[in-house]
Amino acid sequence: MTNQDLIKKLNNLKDVNPDDSWLKSNRELLLSQISNSGAENIPAWRTIFITFSSIAKTASRPAFALGAFVLMLLTGSFFSNHLLEETKPNDSLYIARIISEKVKLNTIFDGEARNKLAVQYATEHAQDITAVLANPEFNTEANQEEIAVLNDSFHKEVNAVKSRIETLAVKNSPLPAAVAPTGAIKNNNDSVVIADNNKEGQGIQVATSDILAPAKTIETSTPAASSSPIASSTLKVDTVKPAAEKILDEAKQLFDQKDYSKASDKLKEIDNIIK
Amino acid sequence: MDLPLVQKFKDKQILSRLKNRDKETFIAVYDANVKEINRFVYFKIGNREEANDLTSMIFLKAWNHIQNKTLEDAKTLRALLYKIARNAIIDYYRESGSKLTASLDDEDNKIEVIDDSLGSDERIDQEADFEKIRRQLPLLKEEYREVIIMRFINDLSLDEIAEISGKKKGNVRVLLHRALNALRELVEKEILI
Repeated sequence: MTNQDLIKKLNNLKDVNPDDSWLKSNRELLLSQISNSGAENIPAWRTIFITFSSIAKTASRPAFALGAFVLMLLTGSFFSNHLLEETKPNDSLYIARIISEKVKLNTIFDGEARNKLAVQYATEHAQDITAVLANPEFNTEANQEEIAVLNDSFHKEVNAVKSRIETLAVKNSPLPAAVAPTGAIKNNNDSVVIADNNKEGQGIQVATSDILAPAKTIETSTPAASSSPIASSTLKVDTVKPAAEKILDEAKQLFDQKDYSKASDKLKEIDNIIK
Repeated sequence: MDLPLVQKFKDKQILSRLKNRDKETFIAVYDANVKEINRFVYFKIGNREEANDLTSMIFLKAWNHIQNKTLEDAKTLRALLYKIARNAIIDYYRESGSKLTASLDDEDNKIEVIDDSLGSDERIDQEADFEKIRRQLPLLKEEYREVIIMRFINDLSLDEIAEISGKKKGNVRVLLHRALNALRELVEKEILI
């Protein structure tokens, strides 16, 4: 006989029941006994009240647990964000920061905003690398391997900044004069006449619009020449890319010369340009 | 089968209504549980008359406990009834000064559990099996017998048994395994004899 056979036989014993007559008589007996101790049929309003209080009692714990979970999730993500921002390339949590940044980047659907954020992150990474290498306690003979990796990473990050800025510049660049809409004519070497459809701040993208309004002249290549939002946006196209490239090259030079603090200062200029 | 949350709600509602001395709810609880509790007591003490008396007392005690707000620690009403039943059986042993050592009931009062769908030969075999288990069950250790009744006869879950007996779920699982092996050995020994 196996245990399964035995269990099957034991299961059949659940058919062992007391007599129906005893069940009935005992029911009556108990009913009379509890009636003597004050049992009654409770009114409908009390039944409704009991039902609601039972629902509240049952739901209170899961609701509390859910609330605590949501709170933990929110505070956790808030504090972890701050914590991760402080991590440096030689920290074990740095990989978590990179993942978190990648997640953030992937959740941005606006291409330009995503590129700007990517530039910002890459610049920050490069700055962090300079900060780590500027630390004399870390930058020793014993850490040569890690230093070599960081050197390599720095160049990669700077190249990443360059390529992102290039992407931004290509996306924001004006159409060539030959394909420009009829409302746009070349004014002189440094300026371009673009169409204005009354949408301030759209800058050069306005020129691609089908709806063309009276022409307007905006200086594009001389940053100081105009202070309008359109001018500020167009400024990026012609000046940001070469300026950024120049800054990045200088930062690279300073980094190679092991002048980490100046390299870091240079990189900060990138942030200002992108903003 | 009800979801745990729904079952929990139902239990809370029944307990609240019992606390409010609702006669109808008490009768509903009695109808739903009396056979199971009676079976538990019967297989524990092995005497039909005594089991009926104890069952009656258990339901009355449960009513009083709920009114006096004692035994509030039970998670479900079923667990509450089993806890009261266990205490009542312990009191019964103490008062009568005896424990179950012989078979369940006497030969004149046999358990009749016959499946009508079976043929006459199979019915005879089934009856013989029941008789073997009936004879061997009282010979098991008290705690073995208890978990076997709760798990395999009354279909309680491991969680419920753990709560009623105050043991950890893992311990209950081990106990069940040992109890089942012990009973199987006893039954097999009887077959050889």
